[in-house]
Amino acid sequence: MSVSYQPVIWNRTKIIYDAVLIVAIVAYVLIFLKLGPMLSPAMAETNPPILRMRAFGSLALILLTVVLAIGPLARLDVRFMPLLYNRRHFGVMTAIVAATHAWYVLAWYFAFSPTPQLLALFTSNTSFAQVSGFPFELFGVFALTILAVLAATSHDFWLSFLSPAIWKAIHMSVYAAYAAVVLHVALGALADGRNAALGVFLFASLGTLCALHLIAGRRERAADKAGSPEVDRTGWIDIGDVSEIAENRAIIGAAPGGERIAVFRSKGKLSAISNVCSHQNGPVGEGKVVLGLVTCPWHGYQYRLEDGCSPPPFKERIRKYRVALSGTRVLVDPEPLPLGTRLEPLAIPEDTLAAPAAPSGG
Amino acid sequence: MQRRHRRAHAAIWTLLAIVLPVALAVIFLSYPRLSRDAPAIRLDEPGKTAAGQS
Repeated sequence: MSVSYQPVIWNRTKIIYDAVLIVAIVAYVLIFLKLGPMLSPAMAETNPPILRMRAFGSLALILLTVVLAIGPLARLDVRFMPLLYNRRHFGVMTAIVAATHAWYVLAWYFAFSPTPQLLALFTSNTSFAQVSGFPFELFGVFALTILAVLAATSHDFWLSFLSPAIWKAIHMSVYAAYAAVVLHVALGALADGRNAALGVFLFASLGTLCALHLIAGRRERAADKAGSPEVDRTGWIDIGDVSEIAENRAIIGAAPGGERIAVFRSKGKLSAISNVCSHQNGPVGEGKVVLGLVTCPWHGYQYRLEDGCSPPPFKERIRKYRVALSGTRVLVDPEPLPLGTRLEPLAIPEDTLAAPAAPSGG
Repeated sequence: MQRRHRRAHAAIWTLLAIVLPVALAVIFLSYPRLSRDAPAIRLDEPGKTAAGQS
């Protein structure tokens, strides 16, 4: 969170995250360039500039695969959540590595071109009518352009300027970039049929990402479909039993066809807020209460329990909902209150706190 | 994540899971292959062109 523009708000976690990433990138490139030729006669025969472009090209594919796997992995297992925290830096690194690959390609194949290098790149291969030999470079340029735009807008300034919905829609174009990279590799680097390792990795990457995203999507869809049961004609929904909520944590329900609602329990009181963080739409309800503030697990954005507003000087807000208790059951009015509405948390009666846990229904 | 984003994600990955494997199959099947009686020693190593170098 920031009230003024700063290029990067560094903290210890981000520094460690980036350091590990840079060390891994340097290690991969060094192993590829130094150890590869010792282990593979084919690599030993390859020109060093071509070896360098292959090192950065294969690394870009690996990084893109990992960065696209982080989202569904974090949805399927919370142990992957820390990887999500600084994923934008991961994406920027991927764009830089891909750009380095492109730079080596231009510097090697088009170094002595009589026309400008980019013009030569776009005009040297015009075999559009055939699959084998298709100008695969165009897929690479398309993917790199998307990655560059995403890297340039990977900042909270753009998130705030464009609004989270538009920003997220733009950043979902990374999937088009991935598809272009798959085609770029299949039509280019794999065309000579001699790079089995890259071929195996490409299939593994595609299979893994499709499986992870589809499994995570199915799980989310099932949760949305189930929703939370309405208790009566008032339209209030039964989120669950109060005994299911751990201190400073939440349970999450969903209005039929609506967004998810998180009910937090803190200091013997209940508060219902939207499960959608105003920053990047992260799942606020999977976070916890830290120093009296609900903290989103994705990037640490914080909100007050009583009004859903971030503490001054921050201005983020999420919606609040009315909450009530029926015995030990937690009921929520799925109609959100206007942004910024103050609603004191509901105190849990002593006898309810002491009552045995009821069967879970929410 | 908002519900509409979850739906968009599901639609996009369903599409990619269908289209990309088909595209890869078409690409791999279209690679030129040497005929059975082609000489063992060749000057035109298959694929060792600009397309196979990057």
